[in-house]
Amino acid sequence: MHFNGLDLFFWVAGLAGHLALLGVLWLKRRASDFPVFTALICLYVSRTIVLMLSHSIGYSVYYYLYWSLAVVDVLLQLGVLAEIAGHVFRPAGMVLSGTWKTMLWAISISLAVALGLTALAAPPTRSLMQTVVVRGNFFSSVLMSELFAGILSLSVNAGALWRTHTAQIAYGLGAYSIVGFVVQALQNHVGAVNAQPYLALAHIQMTAYLVCLAFWTVSLVREAPAPREVTAELDRQLLHLQSRVSLTLTYLTGRSSI
Amino acid sequence: MILTRSDIFLLAAAIVLTFLVWTATHYAIRARHVTNSTWDAILGRLRRVDQRNLFLVAEDLRDSGAEQTNTSMDPEGLWAVIGGMEGLATLEANCDVLIELASYVQRWYPEAIVTAEQLRISARQLKWHVDRLRGASQTGNLQASFPDYAQRAVATYYQMTRQVLELYEGLQLPESVRLRNVISPEFMRADA
Repeated sequence: MHFNGLDLFFWVAGLAGHLALLGVLWLKRRASDFPVFTALICLYVSRTIVLMLSHSIGYSVYYYLYWSLAVVDVLLQLGVLAEIAGHVFRPAGMVLSGTWKTMLWAISISLAVALGLTALAAPPTRSLMQTVVVRGNFFSSVLMSELFAGILSLSVNAGALWRTHTAQIAYGLGAYSIVGFVVQALQNHVGAVNAQPYLALAHIQMTAYLVCLAFWTVSLVREAPAPREVTAELDRQLLHLQSRVSLTLTYLTGRSSI
Repeated sequence: MILTRSDIFLLAAAIVLTFLVWTATHYAIRARHVTNSTWDAILGRLRRVDQRNLFLVAEDLRDSGAEQTNTSMDPEGLWAVIGGMEGLATLEANCDVLIELASYVQRWYPEAIVTAEQLRISARQLKWHVDRLRGASQTGNLQASFPDYAQRAVATYYQMTRQVLELYEGLQLPESVRLRNVISPEFMRADA
């Protein structure tokens, strides 16, 4: 396998960007709020190093590691979306009513549409491996884009408030997924038989990812608006109010016939 | 023109992508609008209602017992006091504003989610009552159904205003003074 100067640039820029983002997550103590997102960035750092080293060993070793880490990558990305959903739909430890059922429907429909589109794709390829790579990447981009749009729309309808950093991670991931959707749809159209257009599209996607990485790094460095100081007296009153409201809530939901 | 499988795939992908981009953009703008709404703008959307009348209707339901359907107010009087279906539509619209007023507090006190959630449940109940009345008006049963469902809707709305006021006053928010002036039954104003 031969990597040219541009490929090396993307590898080095990606590694540097991930390390910078990891530094921000640890130093600004964002890692404790977003452990799954932090794990995803750790994966990307280790994946870059591992694949760079395995590339010099051989083709089959590289592809074996590439695919194993790609599966972990998709699972962690889904984990990040679940983490974001948890922040949005479980503020202060309380589940917003009527959201989980709707979310399950949204996940089911998203899966069905992603599978349908992927099944419709017929990329011109030289091997089964290429077909799986091209279609698999497309499937994950479509699914991520749909889930992002689903979480966003459901949260607005439920009146959920997004914390600043949660929104920034979600919007970055959502925008990158949509770019991935476009790029990989075109890659499925042109196929991997002719490497040049395929690689050109891949480079566009990598560029978009570097922009996303920069966005996350800059956004997560900044502090979110601080909550107002709650004095001991106010805290006591708020607890008292909470317990009264919770009692009424239990009474109302118990009586509710809706 | 014969479309190949690849063409159909691109067309389907374009349709799904357009829908996703539209959805994400639409809701991102709405979310931004909610986040950037000022308190004055939210309060400004509250439509005028006669809180004194709401108080009388709610107290009448409380006095006659929540499970009973016989109210001491005569149906025509109840209709006039509430303002008929238009009055109920006003309460329905105001429900969403009350929820926004509670959600506004969440920006600084995440614990306010409990009140906001209860208001959402109450709003669903109120809208259910109003929907039943709309259905009754289509089947010609509005006169018979109005006293029961309308009074419960009004009582629910009145309870919601109390809860929002309690939240603001409990947290000693500076906005609580203006809020009390708008939704307190002691402040009597003519309907707009």
